[in-house]
Amino acid sequence: MPLLDKCARTQIALPTPTPIRLVRCARLVWLAGVASLSIACGGAAAPNHQLTTAESAVRAAEVGGAEELPKGELHLKYAKDAIAEARTLMDKGEHEQATLLLEKAAVDAEQALALAEEEEARSLAEEQLERIEELMNQ
Amino acid sequence: MMKQTSHHRSTFRIPLATLAIAALSGTVACSAAPPAPELVEARTAYEVAKNGPASELAPARLEEARQALEEAENKFEQDRKSEAAKVAAYIATRRAEIATIRGKEKNHKLEIKKLKEEYDELEKKHLTMTREELAAAKAGLAQTKAGLEQTKAQLDAEREARKAAESRLASAVASLKEMAQVKEEARGVVITLSGSVLFSTGKYKLLPIAKDKLNDVAKALVDQGYKKILVEGHTDSQGSERNNESLSLKRAESVRTHLISQGITASKIEAMGLGESRPVAGNDTPEGRANNRRVEIIVE
Repeated sequence: MPLLDKCARTQIALPTPTPIRLVRCARLVWLAGVASLSIACGGAAAPNHQLTTAESAVRAAEVGGAEELPKGELHLKYAKDAIAEARTLMDKGEHEQATLLLEKAAVDAEQALALAEEEEARSLAEEQLERIEELMNQ
Repeated sequence: MMKQTSHHRSTFRIPLATLAIAALSGTVACSAAPPAPELVEARTAYEVAKNGPASELAPARLEEARQALEEAENKFEQDRKSEAAKVAAYIATRRAEIATIRGKEKNHKLEIKKLKEEYDELEKKHLTMTREELAAAKAGLAQTKAGLEQTKAQLDAEREARKAAESRLASAVASLKEMAQVKEEARGVVITLSGSVLFSTGKYKLLPIAKDKLNDVAKALVDQGYKKILVEGHTDSQGSERNNESLSLKRAESVRTHLISQGITASKIEAMGLGESRPVAGNDTPEGRANNRRVEIIVE
């Protein structure tokens, strides 16, 4: 912490610090404390919003039946793994890294849902085709 | 790093790799670096989406994909090595694939609408016509029928292709889900197996349960059409570096040997012992060390 170094150096250079210098030192220490606090938080806010978005995208994909499709299941797994990892990082205060993971998770879950919905439309088209064939063969 | 290979050609891999890196850095010095593989993948996915039904049927999704690609291009321009750039490319690839999928979905919905109309028309004829009239009408339906056959063939082909791809994926996902983390990275699909699932502490003989699980992995891999498989052993930082390297190589070799016994082509699979050199977590906590004790199977 350069601020603390400066403070320490000032103290060493002046073995008998005057009250004014002491106040200045205290101020530096306080500033350093604030700085280290923001560094500990990764310099970014906790991505709570991104976490909610990713988690609801996962739920939507689950409700949409993505798990029944291997490819959908795979993207769901990517999403869930990324969310779990992001949570661990958030606990450690590594918000920037967690944000990136959550953005990945959200889009993976979105793809899982798209896959499920496409599959549903495809099988409906197939059913409709079978109905016509039955009617034509009557 | 320790290395054991199955054939002579691979002995030259390290010098070749070094040469490649040297050549690459030469290129960097002289001209612009080649685009990152993540970015190439995103661009390709976007091209696929643009040339598919999405451009007509899911234009909003395609536009989202275009914007995501633009963002990825910008991030790579700012700092091509940054994690943010890689993530942006990953997102762009996903967005492009989503556009493709949504285009197909819309296409199916249009088919459903068309087929419903045809069904209603046929049904009406059935109700109002005599048997003879109906026979005549059906004969005139040849055109409709041809169209239907085509739709059916298309749907069938799609279903078959999907089935083939998914049965491979399904077994892979099912077998890996319980025991492994699967990630798509630039170097290939990376399957990470926890050391505690595979081995007892300090040992390199596979646990019986690990063999069962690896059999499933092998089954999935055999079907996958892999180019090359790399098995990497990793340890935590406890114990001497030398011992860790040797243990990680023996463990990777155990996994390799077992996968070969399950039908993986020996010349396509290599084992490496990387010891403690590539931790994925801190070695200062038991949890971190457990994460570092692992075997990674990289499928190219």
